[in-house]
Amino acid sequence: MMMQKHAKYIFFIAAFCCSFSQAFAQEFNTVKGIIHFRSDAPLELIKASSNEMRGKLDAQKKAFAFTVKIRSFAGFNSPLQKEHFNENYLESNLFPDAYFSGKIIEDIDFSKNGTYTIRAKGNLNIHGITQERIIKSEITIMEGKIRISSAFTVQLSDHNIPVPKVVHEKLASEINVEVNADMISK
Amino acid sequence: MKKLAIIVCCTLFAVEGVNAQDTTDILAQLENEMKKEEKAVTNYATATFKTTRLINGHTVENVGKGVLDVKISHRFGNLNAGGYELFGLDNATMRMGVDYGVTRYLMVGIGRSTFEKTYDGYLKLKILRQSSGKRKMPVTLSYVPTIALKSLKYEDPNRKNYYTSRLSFTHQLIIGRKFSDGTSIQLMPTYIHQNLVSLNKEPNDMFAIGIGGRQKLTKRVSINVEYYYQLPDYKLAGTTNSLSVGFDIETGGHVFQLHFTNSQGMNERTFISGTKGKWEKGDILFGFNISRVFTIGKSR
Repeated sequence: MMMQKHAKYIFFIAAFCCSFSQAFAQEFNTVKGIIHFRSDAPLELIKASSNEMRGKLDAQKKAFAFTVKIRSFAGFNSPLQKEHFNENYLESNLFPDAYFSGKIIEDIDFSKNGTYTIRAKGNLNIHGITQERIIKSEITIMEGKIRISSAFTVQLSDHNIPVPKVVHEKLASEINVEVNADMISK
Repeated sequence: MKKLAIIVCCTLFAVEGVNAQDTTDILAQLENEMKKEEKAVTNYATATFKTTRLINGHTVENVGKGVLDVKISHRFGNLNAGGYELFGLDNATMRMGVDYGVTRYLMVGIGRSTFEKTYDGYLKLKILRQSSGKRKMPVTLSYVPTIALKSLKYEDPNRKNYYTSRLSFTHQLIIGRKFSDGTSIQLMPTYIHQNLVSLNKEPNDMFAIGIGGRQKLTKRVSINVEYYYQLPDYKLAGTTNSLSVGFDIETGGHVFQLHFTNSQGMNERTFISGTKGKWEKGDILFGFNISRVFTIGKSR
């Protein structure tokens, strides 16, 4: 009889803990994800963007992952440039996605409204090459919705994307990237 | 009851245990979701060939919408002409032309060749696009109707000459497939109608089947082969089948095509049904096409 009573308590406590951790494991998913890049070279400015970036963020574990299809980038100076971007530089047939996944270094309270500057530490994979990066981002929390914006640069040589000599003046070796995402919890 | 408690505790620990690989988990989750979505979208094959011409003839490629492609092509004389003619380099025929992409599916082009002083104009309509994913299509299919006007002076100005006798028409279907990143092959069944032929017994209608392909050697260089087989009952006497081998070299907005061919003409009628050269006899011509694209319309 005593044993059963104990067991019951244990069960309730366990069940309580369980439900608590469930409630806390808040997962955010992108509803809108835009990524812009810009190559500012002496003879040519190349800009393109994709609004097909997708991401997930686990508030409890502070873990995140974002990915984008290379083919979804548009807005180049010409259709041929887009073709060269896919065929010759990013080789999107071999490496269809770019992604960044890792953890947020700072502790932030996702239930409190406000804007926080955080550092995201993780693996950035472009053109099949992974680089460990710490990327500064701004997170705005508004009534359970979050907005992430971030700007960083990518060295083409870090990701094994060679630039032929003849286009040195037209293609920057360092590309500026801007990311904006709106996320809601599931 | 005790058992239940143990199970609950175990589950709790299990939940804790997952923590260690949160990062990889969340990425895997995301990738799974993306994969499911991918089946719902259609991926179209792009860059089956580097440019709209294989060597002499068309590929399945169109120029993009709003893109003007200026092409200048040369064919020199026969290599077997010897050192006196600098292996044919003393003689050149050329074609100047422009192609324009009206939509993604329709391009138009005009050109003028010095060979037989011919003007030509054509449409290229993309009917099917090779794709995978939601909508699967094994090949790209294009239809290319061409009209050519020979503006040479009438051979016999004293007889009654008709303007229409200068005209010839070509209808071509191009069925192409990109087999892998570097390998593409296409078939080109062709019908040619010439309003006037030189002899009464010669046919006005000619049929040919072309086969061509490209193999990439590096990212920016490929080797191309193009062959047109004329159906024996529908060919002009003394003509041979056109065979060409060449290289595409791409640098930014330019494509250079360097090739060897036994055809001198650069519009469909002249090279498919009017080739006279024989490879085995050394009637080989060196030639090149230069293409430069300009984006006129709104970019994408």
